[in-house]
Amino acid sequence: MGWFSSSSKTEEPGAPSREDRKKCWETRDAYFTCLNSVGVVKAGGEGNACGKEKKRYEDSCAKSWIDYFNQRRVIADAQRERLAQGGSQAGNTRR
Amino acid sequence: MAPKIFLVDKRTLETRELHRESLSKGRTDTIHHFRSEIALGWVFTPTSAAIFVAAGVGLFFYFRYEKERLLEEREKERMNKQYGRPQIGGPFSLTTDTGKPFTDENLLGKWSLVYFGFTNCPDICPAELDKVTSVLDSVGTCLFASVRVHVALTSETEKEHGKIFQPLFITVDPVRDSQSRVSRYLQDFHPSFTGLFGSYDATKAVCKAYRVYFSTPPNADPNGDYLVDHSIFVYLMDPHGKFVEAFGQSVGDEEVKTKINEEISQWQQETGKKA
Repeated sequence: MGWFSSSSKTEEPGAPSREDRKKCWETRDAYFTCLNSVGVVKAGGEGNACGKEKKRYEDSCAKSWIDYFNQRRVIADAQRERLAQGGSQAGNTRR
Repeated sequence: MAPKIFLVDKRTLETRELHRESLSKGRTDTIHHFRSEIALGWVFTPTSAAIFVAAGVGLFFYFRYEKERLLEEREKERMNKQYGRPQIGGPFSLTTDTGKPFTDENLLGKWSLVYFGFTNCPDICPAELDKVTSVLDSVGTCLFASVRVHVALTSETEKEHGKIFQPLFITVDPVRDSQSRVSRYLQDFHPSFTGLFGSYDATKAVCKAYRVYFSTPPNADPNGDYLVDHSIFVYLMDPHGKFVEAFGQSVGDEEVKTKINEEISQWQQETGKKA
């Protein structure tokens, strides 16, 4: 089911291929787009809203990647906010 | 007899006058002065000859001094460049993804682009490896084209020239990244990539030499699903295996290409070879 499911348990897990990465990034983007549409930044806070997208995302990406992308989404959002604040502050001082 | 002597004396006097005038006035006067001297057949006086020789000797020594000074400055610059280089790189001993031993000596004779990463890297490593691939594609073809022009002169073959680059991928995830895994992973990138892996200690040693930070614990689970935090730089090493430049994530492929081309042409100027 997971992302390394293609390799059986006796074999060592294979490295993700370009295809695997592409699929993971696409499902991630779809899921994040859905989160944006319901106004949620932190993954998991959307309730049942993006169930379909979330399922695809989790099927296509390793758990470590999901954690990483979700975390980065929160950080990027905080950064954007800080930049916006900085921008409006700069605008205020100019006035 | 007497009037004749008088004439000569008068002429000398006139010339002296003219000379004095030319000294006090500008160039036009000097020209007039020379004209009058030529007319009078007075160009090669012992004084003018002496001044000419003195000026020549003076200029000769001045130019020699300047030339020496310039050479000295250039030498100093070169020394500075060598002393100014960060101490990145050094001895290491790893294994390639085809199972051959690979040490720092294998860097000799080629321009190496070294990247440290791991195969389970979510997005940054593949992006950086794509960048190196794009750089190699175009630097390769770009130099290819310039070689074609020089072929008649240097008799360098395109094949030889194509071999001056050596892209390396060194895994910082020694527990999971086996030979086959690294080999499989690199199939997605430039075909000339060589993957390198080693024991935990060997990995730690090469990372230390290249000032690369990595977070894999020595007791990581080979089947575990974890990420490795590590420094992201593409290192350019020259054909003596010495560090030239570290390209960060923000440096685009165009900038990397420009730098590489600059370094190679400088190398060619100094050594007469491209690698």
